[in-house]
Amino acid sequence: MSHEVNDNNAPASAGDAQTTETPEQALRNSLKRCSPATVEAAIKFQSSREPSLVPAIVIGIIERYAEPDLRPKLRENTDDVRLVDDLGIDSLTMMEIVILTEEVLQVQIQNDELRNLRTVGDVKIFIDCKLRGLPLPKPTRFFPIEQIAAVMPMQPPFLFLNEASVGNSGAQGKYQITGEEFFLQGHFKDNPVMPASLMLEALGQLAVFAIIEGVLPAEPGNEDKPIDPKTIYFTSCDGVRCHRVCKPGDLLTLSVKPKRVHMPLATFEGSIRVGQEKAVIAEEITLTFGYAEPAPEVTETPEVGETK
Amino acid sequence: MSKVFITGLGFITSIGNDAASVSQSLRELKHGMALYPPFQRPDCPVKVAAPIKDFSTDSFDPEDWTYPDRYHPRRDTLRSMGPNAFYGWCAMQQAVEDARLSEADTSNEDTGLYAASGGTPGMLGHLLHRMHTQGVMRCPPLGIVASIAGTLNFNLVAHYKIKGASTGFSSACASSSHALGFAFDEISRGRQKRMFVVGAEDGNMDAILPFAGMRTLSQQTDPAKASRPFDAARDGFVGTGGATALVLESQEEVFRRGATPYCEVSGWGQASDGHNVAISHPDGSGLAAAIRHALRFTALNPADIDYINAHATSTTIGDLSEAKAIRSVFGEAGARPLVSSTKALTGHGLSLAGAMETGFCALALREGFIPGSAHITEIDPGCADLNIIQKSETKQATHVLNNSSGFGGANVAIVLRKV
Repeated sequence: MSHEVNDNNAPASAGDAQTTETPEQALRNSLKRCSPATVEAAIKFQSSREPSLVPAIVIGIIERYAEPDLRPKLRENTDDVRLVDDLGIDSLTMMEIVILTEEVLQVQIQNDELRNLRTVGDVKIFIDCKLRGLPLPKPTRFFPIEQIAAVMPMQPPFLFLNEASVGNSGAQGKYQITGEEFFLQGHFKDNPVMPASLMLEALGQLAVFAIIEGVLPAEPGNEDKPIDPKTIYFTSCDGVRCHRVCKPGDLLTLSVKPKRVHMPLATFEGSIRVGQEKAVIAEEITLTFGYAEPAPEVTETPEVGETK
Repeated sequence: MSKVFITGLGFITSIGNDAASVSQSLRELKHGMALYPPFQRPDCPVKVAAPIKDFSTDSFDPEDWTYPDRYHPRRDTLRSMGPNAFYGWCAMQQAVEDARLSEADTSNEDTGLYAASGGTPGMLGHLLHRMHTQGVMRCPPLGIVASIAGTLNFNLVAHYKIKGASTGFSSACASSSHALGFAFDEISRGRQKRMFVVGAEDGNMDAILPFAGMRTLSQQTDPAKASRPFDAARDGFVGTGGATALVLESQEEVFRRGATPYCEVSGWGQASDGHNVAISHPDGSGLAAAIRHALRFTALNPADIDYINAHATSTTIGDLSEAKAIRSVFGEAGARPLVSSTKALTGHGLSLAGAMETGFCALALREGFIPGSAHITEIDPGCADLNIIQKSETKQATHVLNNSSGFGGANVAIVLRKV
């Protein structure tokens, strides 16, 4: 048994320690369960205020509060990892992350700003804007199937998105292979497998949705023009690799990011995962798009018989 | 009215961290006092406490704590706890296992939990210090639920998925006896089938030393002499912490599950001194009234009580007040129940005391012994006429009384019966 007063948190010395420890000791104490790389980045940041150090610090703080078995996700597809769904971080743990981040980076984060932070990428961009004094980015928006179906040209049973979120750097979507899909009856006999071509179709649909929801940077001269969903079509796909067979019961996590835009073409990179496993990688998915024609001016001609 | 039985026990105490070691300590009069390291400084005249062994919970960061290997709390369980809540969580685990309860038995609308603790003053102080020095937005998000008085029931109800009645009791050293009394009522009146009763305290410097200003803590430097209820030279109580969890079940549940109860809870009584905020009534009138209520409720005569586990904390005023209360109820009737204060071994656990000592009585009733009142060298003449036993005795009691008194003059008496 140890009842020694053995560290800076111990009751007998808490007040004394807080008044005598150096700022670096205080920082190390606050970050005591973070990785050494995080602690060193934080120490360096406090003297240099170098924004490039921020991702390592923020990821390190998030990692410290994530459940140990979920931490490997942070080392993979970092920016797309979702705080709640992928890392099991509830709102109270989020507050612990915020308090430590505020302390280390010496920033203030407001409650209403937190609501928009869904992914690790959102957090990194948010903190970077805070530190640089830039306006905060548009929040990641989440869309249920009803809202997706309301704007997409594709409709069930040929819509392979159950939900989607659109952020600053791209879009994410989910599709659950239920086993009830019509094409599984013949693909293959007694062995239902999601066709690779439809996996690419699902990625293409997510890219279509991302375009509709304004993920493409505005082109000079066309800033105010809305894109017409009816003009978006698939044109090409390159660098496709399928790593895994996907079958009923699998939950596909789709992700697309714009690579380049040059009217009328927009090129995305895309990936599909099932859990932590890579399923499909597409280096380039290119869609063509056009702007909506301006609506004709309406002349107010009273209908026959209309009264006022 | 349904009969109520104790079917499970869990202990984290200064004299043992499970029922078997607690029972052995009670029989052998092994105390839990020690020269407590955080007290060993020149400005602290109090040197002795009764700390919990095999746990280290001094840090304000629960992830620093160490504890026996049998416990495996997750971070999101620990993060909202002060020491008392963690001791309670461990004692609950023991009690659930002891009563052989499934998760379905513990988590349903017919199972509730009443708890009592003084909270975690150390964490509260840390929280306020951080707020004053680092800003109001830098308080740990769960600091409040880890520190205020309800922390024990907040944590246990959430972590054990309790769906029935739940609340915390705050009558200082009578708290967990009140919890037990009202839990008895819940079952006997048919509102709940099963109740957990948990008392717990931190037992660390921040929880104990504020009593020094009241001059109620023993300043003895010899751990074996520091807690001496009923001794002429007693000089105050010794602080302790830990937890006790009791499982109370209705007769129907005992039959349905085929459980083997420790004892029956026959009934209880309570009364107040209406006298002083911190000093017992000099005549013990409130405690005497509580005992009479308990006897009337259980339809027992004073002569039916074989043993009294006294509240007696080893303070000069309190022990004599209780002696007068006992004399006024039992002496007048010519009854001479055996009397002891197990606080000579454990120290005084404040809100924990009532549940802990009821747990001791339940063990004694099942195992057929009566714990002695240790450390008496010269009995105070004011209680010499009581039948105070200084050694533990192998004797099967039938009816046992457990007394508790708290600040404000709150008194509770609980009657247990062998099965």
